[in-house]
Amino acid sequence: MDSAALNALASSDPAAYRRAIRDWIATNLPPAWRSDAIDKVDPTLEELKDWEARMYRAGLWGAAWPKEYGGHGLTLREHLIVSQEVGRVPMPESVNSIGKELAGPIILAIGTEEQKKRFIPAILEMREIWCQGFSEPEAGSDLAGLRTRATHDGKVWRINGQKIWTSGGWRAQRCLLLARTGTLEDRHKGLALFALRMDAPGVTVQRIKQIDGEAEFAQVFFDNAPVEEIDALGAPNEGWKAAVRVLEIERATNRMYRAWRLENELRHLVSACRADPNLATLLSDPAYAQRLAQFRIEVEVLKRYVEGAVEDLVSGGSIGARGSLMKLHWSEAHQRFVALAMELLNQASLPPPPEVRAAQRRFRKAYMRARAETIYAGTSQIQLGIIADRILRLPRAA
Amino acid sequence: MMDTDDIARTARRAAAACAGLDASAAARRLAEDGILGLLAPEEVGGLGLPLSMAAPVVAAGAAELLPFPLTEALLLARLLGRSAPDTATAIVEGREVATIAWRGALRAEGSGVLHGTVGRAPMAGEARWLVAALEEGGAALIDLRAASGSVTVEEDMSSLDLERPAALVTLRGVPAAQRIPAGADWSALLADAQLLRAAEMLGSGEHCMETAIAHITERRAFGRPLVANQGLRFELARHKLALENAKHALDHALAVAGQDPHGQSIARLVARATAAEAGPMLCEGAIQLHGGMGFTWDVPMHRHLRRVRDAAAQCDAIGARAALAARVDEPAENEQGWAA
Repeated sequence: MDSAALNALASSDPAAYRRAIRDWIATNLPPAWRSDAIDKVDPTLEELKDWEARMYRAGLWGAAWPKEYGGHGLTLREHLIVSQEVGRVPMPESVNSIGKELAGPIILAIGTEEQKKRFIPAILEMREIWCQGFSEPEAGSDLAGLRTRATHDGKVWRINGQKIWTSGGWRAQRCLLLARTGTLEDRHKGLALFALRMDAPGVTVQRIKQIDGEAEFAQVFFDNAPVEEIDALGAPNEGWKAAVRVLEIERATNRMYRAWRLENELRHLVSACRADPNLATLLSDPAYAQRLAQFRIEVEVLKRYVEGAVEDLVSGGSIGARGSLMKLHWSEAHQRFVALAMELLNQASLPPPPEVRAAQRRFRKAYMRARAETIYAGTSQIQLGIIADRILRLPRAA
Repeated sequence: MMDTDDIARTARRAAAACAGLDASAAARRLAEDGILGLLAPEEVGGLGLPLSMAAPVVAAGAAELLPFPLTEALLLARLLGRSAPDTATAIVEGREVATIAWRGALRAEGSGVLHGTVGRAPMAGEARWLVAALEEGGAALIDLRAASGSVTVEEDMSSLDLERPAALVTLRGVPAAQRIPAGADWSALLADAQLLRAAEMLGSGEHCMETAIAHITERRAFGRPLVANQGLRFELARHKLALENAKHALDHALAVAGQDPHGQSIARLVARATAAEAGPMLCEGAIQLHGGMGFTWDVPMHRHLRRVRDAAAQCDAIGARAALAARVDEPAENEQGWAA
């Protein structure tokens, strides 16, 4: 089935639309790429780019983006259905989620017509991978304190400064860059967003090795790096407003498949335990049973947040601060779950059956990676502050 | 046609007007606004609305510390609508008070008369009608006034509730006015009661949280309002998260309640567990935020906590999780059709 036929199903028969997506994934995803595969093989970057471009052509990326920019012209409801099906299968993470879930939506919101026509298809076709240039060594949670400067030299913008924790910075062609056009004292005024070319002169990337042993993120140095006027996103003083929107999107709709992927992790853990005599016994131990059930409860609650946000957005509402509730909830629930997975899998029979080894390989990585989940996209403490200030609207000190 | 917000506002006003009334007077006041017939069929004067419309009403009642067994009245008027229409009509019209014994079961002996002790029957001392489970399955409707044989009503000391004191009821040779068969209707009543309890807990919990916010906004210490302290702000943010989690779970369980005649859905288990933990957390947290004031009889936080603790014990988060654990990798009800 091609994407036109698939998209036609979306309105006429949502159940068939879902089935078609499920069938496409089952037919096309190499089984060895699944995180629960016993003989797992890590795909290369080129293979992943090709995979995501095929997903796009099949209708699985860009479902809710306008047709004139290469999207499939459907709604967030279809994006939710795709996300649910993507989540249910432990496929590799997107290598361009910054492009697809942050840069894309923000360009569609504040970009010029020319920018939309240039950037959006390149994201979907995987010609341009994006990274996010927000955090700095002196401006992490306190983003309004960022120091990277953008000055206009009469012809182009010139960028000077440093970004850090830039996931995928080493593979990106573009950086969604937040830089200061005013003074440091202006705080959140005088910030601008740019679509910086990562191959521009004066851009240097250094990878940073993380606690899980990978070097996914990087620091990026800018030494008078040029940005053409046509690559400035929105007005020079609109950067903060746009950045806040980016962060709200990041917390609420980014990786919409997450709830269903977390459920897949739970199912994987349970099925691996059933394959092992020691662990099968532990599954019915009341203490472990309570904790496993608690994670299922937390996953179901997360699904409700996601579905509710989609319905509100489809009927014209906004995401607002509620993304902070979702983000705080899933990141803490997931940290508890991967710790539980490690506790269980540590008690496997010897030698461990292959299903258990596959689960151990998946969850030991997930456990270490999960430490980042309460830090990125705004730490848990930042989320608590947002809930207090913007959801509960507690008065500030006089 | 009233929408949910209208119904909740009406219920809040009516519940506030019931403060200080006994059960019979409260029943008459609530009936004036048609509240007692929300779920009952039209043949007995009810509105026949779905359970989701009753949830904001019991939540409003909880926020006002309504001194009346509202969940019991709503569900019994629905249950008895066909089998005992006169009793159902009397409940809907606020002429008679009915309650349910939520713990224990009665024994039916040879001639069909009932024996035994049941507990957790809110306001049984003021009620004419009692419904209690039977050991053989199903339940019985009992007329506590007309009873031949002997009925003893005592305080049930396992309960904390002050507005709706729970009773232990002992029957010796009392005939049933009506038998309620084990089946879908009785199962639905038991399962739906859990969701209305969840709604009550969240109604009380949200009210307590709002009261605590007002208190710490007013109250000054160390030269500034208490609310300026990040420790308290973060704690309230956690309360809000627990409340919203439980509300999301409950709204979904209510939305799919009609598709689940036996009350066994994963959605219901999730709603029970989340509300049974959020409710006490919110009320206990509000008492803590009130400081010494929170420990006084006159500040009504303890009244909410008492009601919520009773409801949480019945919603039984540990039991809900244990039931869910056995089905932890089952698809949720709303996702079962996905494989088709």
